[in-house]
Amino acid sequence: MKQKFLSLIAAALLAFPLQASAVPLKIGFINSITGKEAQIGENLTNGAAMAIEDLKAKGIQVELVKEDDGGDPKNALAAYEKLVTRDGVIGVVGPYTSGCANVVASRADQYKVPLLVPAAAKEEITMKGYKNVFRLNAPANVYSSVLMKAVAPYKPKTIAYVYAATDFGVSTVKTAQENAAKMGLTEVANEKYQQGQPDYRASLAKVKAANPDLVFLVSYDADAILLMRQAKEIGLTPKAFLGAGAGYTTAQFAQQTEISNLVISATQWTDDVNWPGAADFALRYKAKYAKDPSYHAACAYEAMRIMVITASTAKTALKLQAALKAGTWNGIMGPVKFADYGGFTNQNNHPMLVQQISGAKYETVYPAQFSKKKLIYPFKR
Amino acid sequence: MLFLQALLSGILTGGVYALAGIGMSLVFGVMNISNFAHGDLMMLGMYLAYFAFTLLHIDPYLSLILIMPIAFLFGFMMEKVFINRVIYHPHQNQILLTVGLGLIMSNTALLAFTSDPKILTTSYSSSAFNIPGGIFLSVPLLISFLITCGITAILSLFLLKTSTGMALRATSQNREAAQLMGINVAKMSAIAFGIGTALAATAGALIAPTYYIHPLAGHSFLLKAFTICVLGGLGSVAGAGVGGLIIGVVEAMSSTYISSDWKDVVVFVLFLAVLLLRPQGLFGKKGGQA
Repeated sequence: MKQKFLSLIAAALLAFPLQASAVPLKIGFINSITGKEAQIGENLTNGAAMAIEDLKAKGIQVELVKEDDGGDPKNALAAYEKLVTRDGVIGVVGPYTSGCANVVASRADQYKVPLLVPAAAKEEITMKGYKNVFRLNAPANVYSSVLMKAVAPYKPKTIAYVYAATDFGVSTVKTAQENAAKMGLTEVANEKYQQGQPDYRASLAKVKAANPDLVFLVSYDADAILLMRQAKEIGLTPKAFLGAGAGYTTAQFAQQTEISNLVISATQWTDDVNWPGAADFALRYKAKYAKDPSYHAACAYEAMRIMVITASTAKTALKLQAALKAGTWNGIMGPVKFADYGGFTNQNNHPMLVQQISGAKYETVYPAQFSKKKLIYPFKR
Repeated sequence: MLFLQALLSGILTGGVYALAGIGMSLVFGVMNISNFAHGDLMMLGMYLAYFAFTLLHIDPYLSLILIMPIAFLFGFMMEKVFINRVIYHPHQNQILLTVGLGLIMSNTALLAFTSDPKILTTSYSSSAFNIPGGIFLSVPLLISFLITCGITAILSLFLLKTSTGMALRATSQNREAAQLMGINVAKMSAIAFGIGTALAATAGALIAPTYYIHPLAGHSFLLKAFTICVLGGLGSVAGAGVGGLIIGVVEAMSSTYISSDWKDVVVFVLFLAVLLLRPQGLFGKKGGQA
């Protein structure tokens, strides 16, 4: 009798497991948790985790399925396919690197599960007309155009490029060359390098010999510090160092005051910008993780927030696509709308900021409506 | 000016490569084992220098006095516990063991120190000597190079003049004959591995002030150390020294005159050319052990 009773209960539990609670909202998150980009990946992990916490506090429950791509496009694609076919997520945030995001984007329309790219910069990702690919951050061409607009009033004449041989490096410099041509700048040196080398002095000596007004740099993480140290060593002193994101926008870089002072960089986000919640986000992030948030953290936070809020009402991948396309948001990344313009599809026309390091601190210096400080030009050691 | 700048920075960087190569070559010569954990031992040296600097406030170059004996003991114990078990086994077993040990070390470092690159900033990190004519020599690289020269000289004297050094060379030339002559070859192996580890850690500590410190930082140097050993002749200490300088200079020259993007290609084409024309390496003995 007792056994019969127990088996009845078991059968009942098996039959109606989901009746008590609603179908949980499942969102995927692909990120570089290990591998070369793991340091930046950690910022995205933290930003996304904070978004989920904030939403839980507002009563929005979500099950986040996290996948690591190790910075490898193959793994990123496998992760996306696993998320949409096995885990049944209705939307995916990620991946971080341009290489990974570009490959995953090419499959999003096939599976019809919306992908929201938080921080990858390669233009191509949103230029192929994919209906299910959305991007929050500004693409690579804006990095160079905003930097050049900021220094244009000082009338520089020549420019040299030093950049990592990665997707982001090559595509950023390609558009920088187009922008430089529009401004009438003459290219005097072009040095592409492999990451992780101990010695860049030979390349930098070539740049120094060309005596450029502007040195345009694209580097990740610690490479930025090595390059700038060696630039100081060999006495490379242009009128401005323009760092296009990534390695030139980290707190670690700013703290190296000997080499970082007056370096100008483009960024998607700063903590002194006047977008709603930005300063508060920075404070809470610092309290929680004991370091300053990078723009990647802010991008991941906002991308995750938009994805979950939209998905919580849309419920299916199909409706989510339409809702992302139609919606507008205003948060720590400023106003967000996924629009079609200038060859882009579902691209947020995000206004990028120019910041300059002054005494280990980043200060927003351009555009004027978002900044309190003025750009210092020319560069001095 | 560009040529001289490239030549001098190439030689200075090559000096540190050489030190990494010498340690690996010594281990190969005495034990006939390719140590694939060599890069990770370098990484340990980097972290030792970093923590000596940040926690104990010892200059990274002075900290070598601490790092070398610690690394020697670590290598000595590693040989006693793990490596000597595979010394008479096929090469693939040895490779699996050393690769495995290396993976354990790098992943333990990832867990313990996270993947955030650490930057060692000393007062002279980005200072340089200005030689008239517009040539700049990095101060930390120059110090590293001089220390490398000193260590190489002491090592050569040790190998040539002391009885332990001679016993090491005898073991390297012919293990069985050395054993028959009453040399404790097991002990020699442990000493060679200890010295090899100490040299790897020293190379790591020397490069730490001009590079960044990361759990996987050893991997790019492992490939270089291996190339240097084969280029110079496996087991030849002098060959590894010269091989390191050659790689350093070729890298700097190809970044100056071709593109830094192509420097690895140039290095490996040169490497293949040496293998084709002189398979025993520049300083290797013909028909020597492989």
